[in-house]
Amino acid sequence: MEQAYAQALMQLIEGGMQPKKALHALVESLKVKGREALLPRIARAFERLAQREMHKNAVVMSVAKEKDVHAGKRDAKELLETIGAESKDVEVRIDEDLIGGWRLEGRGMLVDRSFKKALLQMYNRATA
Amino acid sequence: MDNSVVEKIIKEIEQYKPSGEHAHVGLVVSVGDGVVAIDGLAKAVMSEILVFEETKGKKLADSIETRGELYGLILNLEEDGVRAAILGDTARVVEGMTVKSTGRVLSVPAGEELLGRVVNALGEPQDGKGPFKKTTMMPVERQASGVIDRKGVSVPLATGITAIDAMIPIGRGQRELLIGDRATGKTTIAVDTIINQLNEPEEKRPICIYVAVGQKQSKTARIAQQLREAGAMDYTIIVDEPASAPAALQYLAPFAGVAMGEYFMDKGKDVLIIYDDLSKQAVAYRELSLLLRRPPGREAYPGDIFYLHSRLLERACRLNEEKGGGSITALPIIETQEGDVSAYIPTNVISITDGQIFLVTDLFNKGVRPAIDVGISVSRVGSSAQTKAMKAVAGGLKLELAQFRDLEAFTQFAQDLDKVTADQLASGARMIELLKQKNGAPIPMEKQVAMLYGASLKLFSEVPVARVREAATKFVDFVDAQYKKVLAEIKKTAQLSDDSKKQLAKATEEFRLAHTDLFAAK
Repeated sequence: MEQAYAQALMQLIEGGMQPKKALHALVESLKVKGREALLPRIARAFERLAQREMHKNAVVMSVAKEKDVHAGKRDAKELLETIGAESKDVEVRIDEDLIGGWRLEGRGMLVDRSFKKALLQMYNRATA
Repeated sequence: MDNSVVEKIIKEIEQYKPSGEHAHVGLVVSVGDGVVAIDGLAKAVMSEILVFEETKGKKLADSIETRGELYGLILNLEEDGVRAAILGDTARVVEGMTVKSTGRVLSVPAGEELLGRVVNALGEPQDGKGPFKKTTMMPVERQASGVIDRKGVSVPLATGITAIDAMIPIGRGQRELLIGDRATGKTTIAVDTIINQLNEPEEKRPICIYVAVGQKQSKTARIAQQLREAGAMDYTIIVDEPASAPAALQYLAPFAGVAMGEYFMDKGKDVLIIYDDLSKQAVAYRELSLLLRRPPGREAYPGDIFYLHSRLLERACRLNEEKGGGSITALPIIETQEGDVSAYIPTNVISITDGQIFLVTDLFNKGVRPAIDVGISVSRVGSSAQTKAMKAVAGGLKLELAQFRDLEAFTQFAQDLDKVTADQLASGARMIELLKQKNGAPIPMEKQVAMLYGASLKLFSEVPVARVREAATKFVDFVDAQYKKVLAEIKKTAQLSDDSKKQLAKATEEFRLAHTDLFAAK
């Protein structure tokens, strides 16, 4: 049930209602029905929903070193256009395990041009 | 490191080109009991294979140690994501893991290389004999052949079990259910049928596939050993998903087995597939469906439990000549509880199949093995596939035995019996003895015919009931030694000619004279 309330709250906010006002309306509605006890669970469900929405839109580029960011963004320009993202929307993360290259993940897409993946592929093919 | 590996790596580096491939991905939001909920994957299709990305956040050295790729199978398409079954160790999946779609539906390797091997539901070797080199991938879910592509069942599939071949004959392309309580000899019949295919000429010998679903691994190992010792593994594939395997793999195993069989059927070969057993597959599917939050129905099985078995068993068929003339004969096994054939899954599978062989605990405990209840066992299409020779000797056998069973039950309370009834009971008791057979000892068709023809000439009516089995074995050995040509002719023509009948009648007389001890006293 908390899931349904959280989704309703999300829809109200996405529909243009002020978050504070939407929350107030929800609390009032719960009071009328005697379901205030659900509020903490609704809050957790809403948090999960919000995280899910954020993840849907987030675009993350992982690189092994800071200096690879520019080259990575240049290489991924075409792909970013495909998924409707701009260079400034990209969140950069440093992941030394990638060894080199870059990895772009977001909006349901993944492109992995890291050295780690290339080396793994070579290893698997050579030892198969 | 081996020099050849170093050379291979150098070659790989020289040929390396960065790939521009991009994959559709989703994110694991929850995982448990072999089922995973994934957010995203908007373009996923039903039954698509997913790959869990286990290397993310791991060092290269740790990634190398990862035990092969971990796959998932999409079973539910939902509003914001998908639900999938994990085809492997659930412990390897964690929340937040990236999942890649592959655009491929589940398929398994198939080919001659699989013969003699034990594989799992994904076609991966389980016998430690190494990977397959050259195989063809066959889709696990495939539409069954249509009406136009099919042909009627007309070629017999000999089980080597006299009671079945004489009274409940099975044809190539038929689906005959083996049903009964636990420990009544269902698997034994199936395994004996595989072993009996050794009596078929190599070019006509069916490829056998034994699918073990939810069985003890010790049992499957014993069956593999028995088949190996009999020399039957050369034409057999064992698909094993034991009781310890995830429900998803137990559910998939029969489909994987039939997919491997279709490879051979498409090549014009005959295939015999045994599903041991479909009740355990139904239980695995129920578990999976409940975890996928599909609405439960009768006995908590999902609404499509009938479709699960019908779409599997419909894939057993005999193709017409234009399609190569291959066939898949299915022997599904169903385990009943307390002999209740009217339970949900048994009635479903009975209605799908072309007949059933019903095995009874009482008979089994009385020493009647195979413990077939002739009264309710039936083969709906097999009689058209029975050889003329067998038809000639087994015509009224089923009716006679069914009448004997009724009479036997009725006369339990009777004091005096008239001669006709007493004769009928004596004859029935001898026939029961005659049809008893040890496990792992299938009898070729021509020997079955000779034995039953001897019985039709009342050869065993003077033998004490306790010695009928011995007399029958000796008679078959006698014919095999003295009248080899007759047996060869029956085998070749599949008919019992007048000349063969005369020869066999002569053989019975000679046998009677040579074995006076057997006929001495009743």
